Amino acid sequence: MLDRRPTFWALTLPPLVWLGAFFLTPLAMMAAFSTRPDLRGRLMDPWVPSLHQYEVLLSVPSYGRLLAISAGLAFVVALCATVLAYPVAYYLAFRKGRRTGTLLILLLLPFWTSYLLRVTAWKFILGSSGVLNSLLLYLGWIREPIEALLYNRQAVAITLVYVWIPFAALPILAALQRLDPSLLEAAADLGAPPVRRFLRIVLPLSLPGVLGTFFMVFIPTVGEYVTPLLVGGSRGSLYGNIIQDFFTKAANWPFGSALSMVMLVTTLALLAVAVRVVDLRRFIE
Amino acid sequence: MSIRTRMTVVLAGAGALALLASCAPAPVAPGEVSGTLTVLDWAGYDAPDFWIDFQTTYPNATVNFEIGASDADIYSKMAAGDQADIFHPYTGWLQFYVDEGLVEEIDTSALTNWDQVPDSFKAIGQINGRQYFIPWDWGFTSVLYRTDMVPTGVDSWAALFDPAYAGHISMWDDGPGAVTISSYVHGYDETAITAEQLEAIKQEWIAQRDLNLFYWAGEPELIDAMAGGDVWVAYAWQGAYATLLGQGIPVAYANPSEGRNSWVGVYGIRKGTTNLDLAQRFLDAKLAPATGNNVVNLFYYGHANQAVMSGITDATLVDAFSVNDPGVLERTNFTPNLTADQRDAWTGMWAEVKAAP
Repeated sequence: MLDRRPTFWALTLPPLVWLGAFFLTPLAMMAAFSTRPDLRGRLMDPWVPSLHQYEVLLSVPSYGRLLAISAGLAFVVALCATVLAYPVAYYLAFRKGRRTGTLLILLLLPFWTSYLLRVTAWKFILGSSGVLNSLLLYLGWIREPIEALLYNRQAVAITLVYVWIPFAALPILAALQRLDPSLLEAAADLGAPPVRRFLRIVLPLSLPGVLGTFFMVFIPTVGEYVTPLLVGGSRGSLYGNIIQDFFTKAANWPFGSALSMVMLVTTLALLAVAVRVVDLRRFIE
Repeated sequence: MSIRTRMTVVLAGAGALALLASCAPAPVAPGEVSGTLTVLDWAGYDAPDFWIDFQTTYPNATVNFEIGASDADIYSKMAAGDQADIFHPYTGWLQFYVDEGLVEEIDTSALTNWDQVPDSFKAIGQINGRQYFIPWDWGFTSVLYRTDMVPTGVDSWAALFDPAYAGHISMWDDGPGAVTISSYVHGYDETAITAEQLEAIKQEWIAQRDLNLFYWAGEPELIDAMAGGDVWVAYAWQGAYATLLGQGIPVAYANPSEGRNSWVGVYGIRKGTTNLDLAQRFLDAKLAPATGNNVVNLFYYGHANQAVMSGITDATLVDAFSVNDPGVLERTNFTPNLTADQRDAWTGMWAEVKAAP
């Protein structure tokens, strides 16, 4: 038998080194910094590890509460983005014709613009003198601009769902494309109506893609900070904003690191619970 | 002392002299000065307008810029070992650089423009009695408001807490800035805020959050919101005031009874830089008139060079700097230097305001 080991290592080593250098090392440094009592002295000077930052963190209930809110918002955003992306993926997978390639490009078109620009665009749509308010005023449906559209958590959720939909459609599309069309033909021959065919065949077989999409949106959204900064207003801060503040506005890396570690552990714990509940392995196998 | 040791001392002395000579700007023609300088600055200040004198005097020297997002960001970078030769902090954030040994003392005798800097400004760059920083840009902080939306005018910092402007107030996203305003309003000693006072300040800003539309992070964001009419009353630097005036927006810059706040931007040289001579030349050129005029005319900020300031004739700028009203300056509160404890406590307080239910 051919020795495949050199090939294995040649292929595995580069990504391992990359992950080690740019993911695991920073993660370990963050974990280490979170045990620093403060940021006095040189950054790399040795320090006596302490749990001081975690004690402070636990003594302020609003941080934990904000983490729960952020996870809740991420759940809603992931759910909405997945549900809304499903029909898009379905259409692309089954109603395909000559135009599938064009439609796919159209779906991905927003990515040609900067993320910041797309989020800022929502300010022009939702603002008090923005597109939506101007339209409603013009139509005479409202007399005063609705100010509640922008600068709150709903605006954050709306913007995030918008940003995620094209991303979310891709894993679902991949799952639907793997589906064997003869299964659907057999079901139709046996007299199953379209709704039943969808519920009994298409949906269950595409669930791995759906769950993958959900988590792909949920995990980064828990720590999201750019969107709340732009459209969240005074009351729209999420947990990620607090972490960012401790790094960039407070020069307090130890506390920011402790906040990050708590978020990491919480997200992993939530994932572990979710995997148990939906029994992810059953779908993947 | 034996001949041998005497020789050593003499040699060492000569060596030290040679070293000193190499540190002081040697009599080299400016056109022949070369080298690469790295400056850690704020976004926008990397534009050649703001170091034009250096560029024209030393055409063979290269300047690279790194960008910092805030005072905290610049400080963190320097503390983490950033190799920039020069950095640009603001009043309030100077003491730690000296405490942590991150900044080189400046040889002001090598600065040809130093005489143009008023003593009061020189003093701002002095920590523990030594000149660690050169003052460069300065400006006011006060309440900026739309005169059409706030016809009664604003005469106190308390306007930022006035329910009459609910949903149309914008505060700067900054903990120490919030503590400063509360101190003015309540007459606290800003340099000696107690734990009880800090708790009261926190509660005050948590309540203010419901009146506040958003916390602004960058001036353009605030300018847009005020020009668009979403924000009527805001914590603002006079750059925003001058820009809005220039756009024809009806705005006024308050003279609060508690006094305006004033800040000064300074430049420091990283301790241990191998570019000391070039760095000193850069700072000297930063104080030169062409650069100073650009700061005034393009950014609407004040400059440390007295000659630049006394040359202002533009009516908008005269108004923005309150040049004709010396009483404004007399009642202005300068930003004191934070201690590391205050920095942690005040920024932590602000995070709790933003995270509050």
